Amino acid sequence: MSVQLAVFLENQPGKLESITKALAEAGVNIRGIAMASEGEFGVLKILADDPERAYRVLKEHHYTVSRRTVEIALIEDRPGGLHELLAALSARKINIEDCYGIVLEEGHQAAIVLDVERYPEAEAVLKERGIRLLGDQELSSL
Amino acid sequence: MYWEQNVETMDRRELERSQLRMINSSLARARQAPFYAQSLAAVSAKGLATLAELAELPFTGKADLRAGFPYGFLAVGREEVVRLHSSSGTTGNPTVVYHTRGDIAEWENLIARCMYSTGVRKADVFQNMMGYGLFTGGIGFHYGAERLGVMTIPIGPGNSRRQIWFLKHLATTVIHILPSYALHLAGYFPELKIDPRRDLKLRIAFIGAEPHSEGIRRKIEEIYGLKAYNSYGLSEMCGPGVAFECLMQNGLHLWEDHFYPEIIDPASGRVLGEGEEGELVLTTLKREAMPLLRYRTGDLTRLLPGPCPCGRTHRRIDRIKGRSDDMLIINGVNLFPIQIEKTLMAIPEIGRNYLIEIRKDDYMDRLEVKVEINEEIFRGTLSQLERLQARVVAELRAELGVTPAVKLVEPASLPVSEGKAKRVYDLRGGGT
Repeated sequence: MSVQLAVFLENQPGKLESITKALAEAGVNIRGIAMASEGEFGVLKILADDPERAYRVLKEHHYTVSRRTVEIALIEDRPGGLHELLAALSARKINIEDCYGIVLEEGHQAAIVLDVERYPEAEAVLKERGIRLLGDQELSSL
Repeated sequence: MYWEQNVETMDRRELERSQLRMINSSLARARQAPFYAQSLAAVSAKGLATLAELAELPFTGKADLRAGFPYGFLAVGREEVVRLHSSSGTTGNPTVVYHTRGDIAEWENLIARCMYSTGVRKADVFQNMMGYGLFTGGIGFHYGAERLGVMTIPIGPGNSRRQIWFLKHLATTVIHILPSYALHLAGYFPELKIDPRRDLKLRIAFIGAEPHSEGIRRKIEEIYGLKAYNSYGLSEMCGPGVAFECLMQNGLHLWEDHFYPEIIDPASGRVLGEGEEGELVLTTLKREAMPLLRYRTGDLTRLLPGPCPCGRTHRRIDRIKGRSDDMLIINGVNLFPIQIEKTLMAIPEIGRNYLIEIRKDDYMDRLEVKVEINEEIFRGTLSQLERLQARVVAELRAELGVTPAVKLVEPASLPVSEGKAKRVYDLRGGGT
């Protein structure tokens, strides 16, 4: 399991930039980023090399931020790679709240970030299938 | 528990007899002022035989006070006046209220009575965060607290970090603060790494000068770990100290040895019965410099029926619902901003501040409510926010009978003034 930060944001020019600025100034490296938006507001999801530090920095800048546990699964960057992983979860009826992918090395490796409702069970299922999961440490060293 | 037990618990019949005597002497004093000399010319100089006859006298309104600027309501020689206060008039003449030395002494005593009744004692430390100056809130409490004998810090509003520094290092136990500023100030605790419940010694807050809901009071009590008491006043009567909550926190005792209350229908002017909601009308009983008769406060409330368990016999008014001129008409539906506040504060996911905007959009009124979310509850999913937004819309619709647009905004993103909070922006332009 890994920790993902979720930040509540109003949809306004400059909002996203103010976050990347705060993190850059604090020397936090962003390893993955995704945005879910409703139109007027949204949630920005950030994978940072040092999630605790990133959390503190954002809190100090008065952002509404929350820590969520996610699974980051390494998959091969080839047709069917993602499907095999999702099939394993769906066979056990584990619902995915949210997911997005990051290509780590084109044609070789990709990571998929999964926000699942029953993560300890999901983790067991994925491990059973021999899927490699990244922890915070590994994420920062990739 | 009583500052002046014989006055506060006076038998009602005796209280009413003394009220009638005082109204008649107020009437006689008022005739010394140019305005009343004229408006009471047709009223018999014998005075009233019963309290009910008061209803036959004309009202005094804010417009009369403005028209009487500067000295039309002054009932004593100018050499008797020791101070004036003035309300925040942005258009036209300000309303100016004069005080003799005796008026000031009575006012101090009323504030001391209010503070004492909630448990403030000489050993307390009182930090007065209300504005000093022409506004009556700060100075009124200042002298009342000194009369009681409590150490008073005349810090005034604003400069939030310094406020918190004083709270902490002087171990302040009692504060007087605008409810909107109390909520704003709370936003500074996390960065200063202060837990107000653990690190501060606060036990009593007086909140007033702007209408606020029960939900806002509970929120302030929760954040600071204290008891918050609602205070009501208006500069035309003296300032704060007109009505005050006792330990029961259930309605505000209106000090009937100083002010005689009536509740009227704001449209017809008819006097309403106990328990009926309408506009509060007050007659001063003791004021020397500037007696006011049947003054229309513009504040909407009701007289609560029945005695209060605290033993005080002075009748209670309900918390102020709004001002008669605060009412909003949205596509023909009447509503008060306080209804919106009450609804929002009952939803825990909502933060401390909100803002109401009304626009005209294609000939239809559009009500938009911007609400800050409570960062404590944010779990990081968009679906949570969407559910919250839908819930706020549904609850406001149920309360108001109007469907608002609800916009969720970040905590502390809405403008907060350190004076009275402005939360309603009517952007329809022209008449409504």
